Amino acid sequence: MSSPRLYRLTLPLAAAALLAAGCAQQVTRYGDEKGVETVTNEFGSTDLQTIAESMARSMQTAPVIVSGNLPIVTVQEVRNRTSEYIDTRAITDSIRTELQKGGKVRFAVDQSGLKQQTSEIDRQQSGYYAREQSVDKGQMVGAQYRMEGNITSIVKQVRDTKDVYYKFSLQLWNIRNGLLEWSDEKEIRKTTTRG
Amino acid sequence: MKYAWIPVAVLATALGAGCATKKGFEVPGQAFGCPIGEQKIASMEDLVKAKVVTEGSRTTVVPTEMRCSRSGDLLRIDANLNNDSKTVKRVSYKFRWIDREGMRAWEEEAWKPLMVYDNSNLMVNTVAPTNKAADFRLILRSME
Repeated sequence: MSSPRLYRLTLPLAAAALLAAGCAQQVTRYGDEKGVETVTNEFGSTDLQTIAESMARSMQTAPVIVSGNLPIVTVQEVRNRTSEYIDTRAITDSIRTELQKGGKVRFAVDQSGLKQQTSEIDRQQSGYYAREQSVDKGQMVGAQYRMEGNITSIVKQVRDTKDVYYKFSLQLWNIRNGLLEWSDEKEIRKTTTRG
Repeated sequence: MKYAWIPVAVLATALGAGCATKKGFEVPGQAFGCPIGEQKIASMEDLVKAKVVTEGSRTTVVPTEMRCSRSGDLLRIDANLNNDSKTVKRVSYKFRWIDREGMRAWEEEAWKPLMVYDNSNLMVNTVAPTNKAADFRLILRSME
């Protein structure tokens, strides 16, 4: 068999084999969204859920939350000081949701949502809406406390082992007097070994 | 005045008996501070048996002690996990929160992974997410 003819036969066969192999292996299943995820040792869903739960539960027992009459909190930035991409907004959203559902805290619109909030008020004030049902300017309630934090990591790697340590810290600051009213940390260690 | 000592003796006996029973100081419906409802809990083992559920793979890590208190209007729980084997054990745990009517007071928590050293104890603690949580179960699962 001549060489070009051999190629003509081999290439479609190889492509068909690859396709068949790909189709045979691919299986999609729904999983447990609350299950322990250890696919890689990068920041994952279990870390996010564990941190959010731990921080929200701890904050609920803070004296200013326990003694306050539904204190108003605004969420500020959680700085990502790790070497990987982490959506810190997803962490603060989960903390906020758990606290809101717990019914001990109210949340004021934060910086990221302020533009949408004020533009909606402006839209209602534009003259197109019934005056008595429109929201007046100057009615928004300012927060008493602001929540901010950091996430840092230490990564150590040798040939067959990679160790990742995360530290998430969150603080609750009194906006009026600048006092730190509550803070807590959550640490996570994950080690991956090959072989 | 001959029998004046009798009321004193009766009182002392009653007080002594009260102190001698473990549940003498317990609030009704509670054992070691934990809500038990109508259940008969006479010891720590009974309490652990009533509050701990093993799901999925069995684990040799066992809760040995459990105590509850209140933080404001929220239930606070400390549970001691013991690994008396000669190897490090990995488990995951979560709490299930139950309201006064026996319904779920909160959505299912995420499983939290835990490493317990050989021949060691580890204390896990939590606070109820809501004041509607009147009771709880500690769910354990092996990750080996």
